[in-house]
Amino acid sequence: MSAELTTRSLRLPANTALIWTLGLFAITWPWVGKLPLPTLLAAIVTPDTDHFDQIMIHYAWAPRLAMAILIGAGLGLAGAVLQQILRNPLASPTTLGVESGAQLAIAASSLYFPSLLAPSPDITAVSGGVLGTGLVIALTWRLGFSPVTVILAGMVVSFVLGAVNYALLLLNGEFLGHLFIWGAGSLVQNDWSQFQTLWPRVVGLALAMVLLMRPLQLLQLGAGSARALGARVIALRLLALALVILMTACVVSRVGVVAFIGLAAPALARMLGARTLQQHLFWSTLLGAGLLLLADAFAQLATQWIGGSLIPTGTTTALIGGPMLLLALRGMHNNHHSPTHSSEPATLALKRRSLWFPATITLTLLAAVVVLSLSWSPSLQGWQWKSLSAWPELWNWRGPRLIASVTAGMILGVAGTLIQRLTGNVMASPELLGISGGAALAMVALSLSGMSVGRSGQLVAGAIGAGLVLTLLFLISRRHRFSGHQLLLGGVAIYVFMDAGIRLVLSSGDTESMKLLNWLSGSTWLVTASEAWALVVMAAVLIAAALLCSRLLTILPLGEGSAQALGVQVPVARVTLLLLAALLTAAATIVIGPLSFVGLMAPHMARMLGQQSVVRQLLLAALVGATLLAAADYLSRVILFPNQLPAGILAAVIGGFYFFWGLSRHAQR
Amino acid sequence: MSAFFQIRNLQVSAGDTVILKGLNLDLHDGEVTALLGHNGSGKSTLLKALARQLKPRGGGLTLRGEAFDSIRQRDFAREVGYMPQYPPATDGLTVRELVALGRYPWKGPLGRYRDEDQQLIDQAIEDTGLRQFSHRSVDTLSGGERQRAWIALLLAQQTRCLLLDEPISALDVVHQVDTLRLIRSLAKKRGLTVVMVLHDVDLAARFCDRLIALKNGSLAADGSPQQTMNTRTLESIYGIAMGVLERAPGHWVSYVH
Repeated sequence: MSAELTTRSLRLPANTALIWTLGLFAITWPWVGKLPLPTLLAAIVTPDTDHFDQIMIHYAWAPRLAMAILIGAGLGLAGAVLQQILRNPLASPTTLGVESGAQLAIAASSLYFPSLLAPSPDITAVSGGVLGTGLVIALTWRLGFSPVTVILAGMVVSFVLGAVNYALLLLNGEFLGHLFIWGAGSLVQNDWSQFQTLWPRVVGLALAMVLLMRPLQLLQLGAGSARALGARVIALRLLALALVILMTACVVSRVGVVAFIGLAAPALARMLGARTLQQHLFWSTLLGAGLLLLADAFAQLATQWIGGSLIPTGTTTALIGGPMLLLALRGMHNNHHSPTHSSEPATLALKRRSLWFPATITLTLLAAVVVLSLSWSPSLQGWQWKSLSAWPELWNWRGPRLIASVTAGMILGVAGTLIQRLTGNVMASPELLGISGGAALAMVALSLSGMSVGRSGQLVAGAIGAGLVLTLLFLISRRHRFSGHQLLLGGVAIYVFMDAGIRLVLSSGDTESMKLLNWLSGSTWLVTASEAWALVVMAAVLIAAALLCSRLLTILPLGEGSAQALGVQVPVARVTLLLLAALLTAAATIVIGPLSFVGLMAPHMARMLGQQSVVRQLLLAALVGATLLAAADYLSRVILFPNQLPAGILAAVIGGFYFFWGLSRHAQR
Repeated sequence: MSAFFQIRNLQVSAGDTVILKGLNLDLHDGEVTALLGHNGSGKSTLLKALARQLKPRGGGLTLRGEAFDSIRQRDFAREVGYMPQYPPATDGLTVRELVALGRYPWKGPLGRYRDEDQQLIDQAIEDTGLRQFSHRSVDTLSGGERQRAWIALLLAQQTRCLLLDEPISALDVVHQVDTLRLIRSLAKKRGLTVVMVLHDVDLAARFCDRLIALKNGSLAADGSPQQTMNTRTLESIYGIAMGVLERAPGHWVSYVH
């Protein structure tokens, strides 16, 4: 009994020590042959300027090492604090729009106002980050920064800004290859100056966070009890959020996005047994530093192996952190320690409405978009209305992509509803489960291998990729009886891993990667008629199956206990629904790419429009998704005529703005 | 009377803590039983084990002579209904939608709800006095109303047995008595087996046929209210000085010195 206890309490220090040792070893290893260890240590402080190696150590190697530790620690701590405020294990500084804001600001100013960047990119990056989060804060102000709304608004802001950023990259691909690298987080240093400006800020912010520990602890009891104990919940949330944002913005402005640390370190600490808030903050900080150290060592080694092209640390962070999270998830025995939001009502809108009104409006909108799409578009002679008699001819060009968009939208809406109901987490979406990422990575790998197999070959590859990820998800979550949080964390780990892989490919910046970027951002213009109709058939079958599961979807959110008491075989039901969701996602991804986020937004919109029961939510989410993607497809064609933008990006932008509008309307009531 | 549940040498532990230490009990068909005991005595755990909500570490449980493991999930849910101590959040469901979920064990994921199902649902809502809330979202109800909505779900489930974990903890005195009266009359009318965790000994003695008390995971007392409601037994259950008055036949008042 006591032996078991000791092994458990040793797990956290032992694992942390292991990660640190590995990281330190890997980062020192290239120098071991060249210099004796005492000389190396001495060179950090007082280099012998006659030796090039010692200069390298003093001005490049040591500052980089120090930066990795500092930044990792800062981000780990910020992530732990954020998870405490938002009480969701999927929350990370990325979810607040800081990084996407900063990234967009840098990209936009390097394209249009390069003079802004000349003195220092810091100011631009920080103000971009502050603008991104400012948007999130403004949207959730009246709702008292309730965790659910902060998370949702933050994710949507991130997606919208990210989509705009992608659009900029697509339109100016040849100039912005380096931005991919910056965006992916690079720790290269030339002297100690960056470290010296950064460390006082990080340490100061960290101290402020530690001072907030006691009131933060109260938040664990839920907003109501915290208030009853005398905490000013809203002020506390705002203050803590501000600290997290500042910390992230400071780091992002220096080294770009290495955000996965903010998610992985707290998650690892929790899984390895950090129970109290003190433990959680302390070990998240240490683990964050260790993880980034290891990732940076890996990035340096990889850069040397590949030779020449720079491997960003942000990418290797995800490549290392993702699998590590998966491993930890395998070893996790219970989920008592994972925070849930179940004590506060998770719903955004409790209002109910009949289905007819919103459905009619949405259908009318959809019809209007279809008509517009077929008949009113720019040509070389300017904007023109095409007569009805010209439709059959136009259908040949515009029909397939329109059908594909509408169907993919419906599929994603249904898949999103399914996954959100299944996991009971508002942040869940088909994109985040990594299934679309799997499809994407398989297709990227295929095209890189140089084989020309055509579209059909790509589709098969995508399906195989999605299937592989799905199998992996099953294997991970089988131990936990396919319960929500583990499934989602596993999915996110896979997603981040895939995303890093894709970024790595894209950072090479050649023509092949531009083509891939087009597909990844959802280019409907590649769709052929036979593909579109195949998608329709699949959609019909799968959506019908989803509707048949509606009773299960009502019962499962009540929790495993209640579902079991009502006679549901919970693991079987979850596997069935997960399989269905994965099939739906794979089908849609192959056409529209992994970046549209319709699957996240459509179900929430259906709820904001007053559809609370499962069947109605499914139906309306499908309609909303279809309208979103149809509109996005139309705009993608006309907005920059004769150029085309990928519809997936536009869907994220349109849906995002609609979502903001819904949220602000909701706040007014 | 045949045994509805047979409990043989039941052991349950959470991590390193032993919660139930080899319990032996028979619970009979048509009997209304109260589980008593101080906090942490293992009442809720016993109830959860009976509801198949947790896996015992040792010992056997049977339902009408059939081992628990050999019964299919939905068949089990047709026989045994369970209400947890803290009903989960319902995420926007209305009262009627929640109660309608009680028909799931009978209809499965696809079976159509017929008129008789609708009648059972309406009847359950009527019986628990929730008719005017029928189309309100459960999340917006008061604690007591929510508790009654979950009881209505169990009624619509039409099981032979009800396992209730503190079913009246959030109710006022009027609704406490009403609810217990309803449970008792249903039990007698339909021959239901009821096991509920109660904290009020007096109410338990008034509305139950049998009182079972646990203390530190073992049986402390087991018998009819007549046998249990005396100073010696109550003091041994709760470990403080107590007294009992019998105001009328079958109507006890206990008090603490």
